[in-house]
Amino acid sequence: MTDSRPPVTSEQVLARADELQRKLGERFRDQLVESLYTEAQRIAGRAVRISESSWASLDRRIDRVVTSRVLGLPIMLFMLAAVFWLTIVGSNVPSAFLAGLLMEEGGLSGWLSEYLGVEQAPAILSMSLYEVLHWLFAVVHMPSWLTGLLVDGVYLGLGWVVSVMLPPMAIFFPIWTILEDLGYLPRVAFNLDFLFKRAGAHGKQALTMAMGFGCNAAGVISCRVIDSPRERLIAILTNNFMICNGRFPTIIMLATIFVGAAFPPALMSIAAAGTVMAVVLLGVLFTLVVSYALSRTVLRGEQSAFALELPPYRRPAILRILRTSLIDRTLFVLMRAMATAAPAGAVIWILGNIDVAGKSLALHAVDLLGPLGYVMGLDGVILLAYVIAIPANEIVVPTMIMVYLGAGRMTDVESFSQLRTLLVDQHGWTLLTAVNLMLFSLLHNPCGTTIWTIFRETGSRKWTIFGALMPVAIGVVVTSLVAAVVRLFF
Amino acid sequence: MAAVAGQILAGVLLVLIAGSLAAWALLRPWRSWRQRQERSLFEHALKHLFTREHGGEDATVDSVGDAVGISLNKRQGLVTRMADAGLLRSAAEGLHLTVEGRQYALHVIRAHRLWERYLADDANVPMGDLHRAAHRAEHRLTPDEVAALDAHLGYPPTDPHGDPIPRATGECAALAGMSLTDWPIDKPACIVHIEDEPEVVFRQILAQGLRPGQSVRVLERTPHRMILTDGVEEYRLAPQAAAQLQVAAPPQGEPLDTHGLVRLSDLPDGREAEVIAIDEQYRGLGRRRLLDFGLTQGARVCPELRGIFRDPRAFRIRGSLVSLRSEQASRVWVRPIDESQQAA
Repeated sequence: MTDSRPPVTSEQVLARADELQRKLGERFRDQLVESLYTEAQRIAGRAVRISESSWASLDRRIDRVVTSRVLGLPIMLFMLAAVFWLTIVGSNVPSAFLAGLLMEEGGLSGWLSEYLGVEQAPAILSMSLYEVLHWLFAVVHMPSWLTGLLVDGVYLGLGWVVSVMLPPMAIFFPIWTILEDLGYLPRVAFNLDFLFKRAGAHGKQALTMAMGFGCNAAGVISCRVIDSPRERLIAILTNNFMICNGRFPTIIMLATIFVGAAFPPALMSIAAAGTVMAVVLLGVLFTLVVSYALSRTVLRGEQSAFALELPPYRRPAILRILRTSLIDRTLFVLMRAMATAAPAGAVIWILGNIDVAGKSLALHAVDLLGPLGYVMGLDGVILLAYVIAIPANEIVVPTMIMVYLGAGRMTDVESFSQLRTLLVDQHGWTLLTAVNLMLFSLLHNPCGTTIWTIFRETGSRKWTIFGALMPVAIGVVVTSLVAAVVRLFF
Repeated sequence: MAAVAGQILAGVLLVLIAGSLAAWALLRPWRSWRQRQERSLFEHALKHLFTREHGGEDATVDSVGDAVGISLNKRQGLVTRMADAGLLRSAAEGLHLTVEGRQYALHVIRAHRLWERYLADDANVPMGDLHRAAHRAEHRLTPDEVAALDAHLGYPPTDPHGDPIPRATGECAALAGMSLTDWPIDKPACIVHIEDEPEVVFRQILAQGLRPGQSVRVLERTPHRMILTDGVEEYRLAPQAAAQLQVAAPPQGEPLDTHGLVRLSDLPDGREAEVIAIDEQYRGLGRRRLLDFGLTQGARVCPELRGIFRDPRAFRIRGSLVSLRSEQASRVWVRPIDESQQAA
């Protein structure tokens, strides 16, 4: 058995393939898909029977309601508000528990008496991990600066991030995944597409924005669902305009002590909730305006395909949801946040505890940032807190309080009324400060984790820098304008 | 004394180290910037030489200098540096590409045209902006990246203007077609190429709505203007603009007969229809998405839902519900099924 033909070289094979490939023409893909579908239809026609009555008539009725012109948007806003409410209210108790367990003096005794009515806490629960660590470091005679740096700095930073961030995320992400699994979120994208179409963006951006409420880093990753590169970039760059869980506490605190306090007690919580919602909607507005501007300037392009399947409604698979949302999303984001928060904790301690010329480094920085703070209707302390809190937004408020109190470590005050006394009476906050802080909390650079994620997703240093600086530039301009207008007229 | 001398020595060392670090930090970006500039000069010059050779003309030092836009006294230097790099050689009648030079030029052209295809198909960048963006990108792409892009796009034969894309093997198909100015009146034609330079005229042609791949017919030709039609619209072109269009005979048989068909976007709610075809000019990602959802010839489709402001709409296709914007739905031609037939 001998083959008389000469051996074929790989170059010849490649050349032949290239030649054949060119003959296929541009219709080849169409024909391929067509034949696949024809074959699938032939098989399905033999094997599958569809009875028209069971066939999604309920689905159709639900669809008519959730996408109707009258009810579509109100239902969506109601769902959004309900998710926020559940997240905020539901995370109060576990947040306080974690704070007690990890950081507070007296350990869990405060939490036990407040939520369970237990007055005499067992001794073993009366010491937080923070106090245990202090005790351990004292036993082995660590130098005080090292104790300060590691326990008061790094450990407290981590403790804050975990106790503020973990509970809302552990509630928000499962709810989000349930809505996604149920099939409701694609209908939201369908309802809102008219806005994104006008902004030159992709309808699925609504989904990535909803994800951004949980965490901007997770929101940026979720932009992978957008298949056109231009619109994906728009969605990535504007995701930061969604208030994430790390920033909600700041907005809620301001809404409660400045806006809520101006109303009678019965209306207080509604006024506060309304303020939070207003800030959220302002964020949506900024997303649309910036998307519009981007798609008319640096990311010019025609609107591309928005093809989205609206899947049949399904009963969510609870166990799978818990697994994917808690492990893939919550823990993943928490780990990244902790990795960036640890060094920030050390920096905060150093700033608060090293004195130069009779003042701590923090106060020198406050003096430096003071003038810019004034122009923006804020003050130096707030700006310093935002600079330090680049790695994680959760530590903005504790850092601010630390500097105001002149304390050497991040700290909190007992109640909102004490906080009000500290901010308004002792440090001259006005309604302008509160409003501008809310605005700046909405419009500032993404946190370190998100910046890192933008870099991972875009692979471009240029777009990462743009994504980090664009929101903060908008924030400086908007707050300065508001401050100037208010000072001119009032 | 020794202590003082030691301190002075340490100080000098520190200054030296800091100084060289600073110089390195400042010079490095500057040098890499210089290298990038040099690379893009080389590549522009190569493209010019290649185009000239392709058109059977000889390039000269001055034509190279004009093409890349550098001053008179720098031209000779550029050509000499390129000759030293083995990319071209000088002969009495003009400059010629070496084998390496020709390969390099083909790589740059390939990168440019593939990038244009990518921007047009996947990113929906308007036709008028393609050239400038690709002009920058062509100098950044490595041959491996270009090969990956080629595979991602499905080995497209032409760029969005209709220019053939050179293959990785270095072959480059010739442009098929003739100038529109020479095309007989009333004979069906297909636009195969729109020249993008001069840009002003190119943008005028685009603004009229003419695109490569479009089927047209010449209605009238006078020395001052030319009137075209695609069956629906009429286009008026100056002779200078018409010269920028290349046309050829339409590829296969007759263009789609749209009699009795409607666009999917015009189909009333709840009316079932049969898919006939997707617009031939709708290419790239958008077309792939429509095909993926099963919008192939013969499929049944029925509009079911409307968005809050009437757009987008959701269509029932092969049992699943798919939302499409009106721009996409208008690219699909369907034949409504008779009510009586539908009931049967």
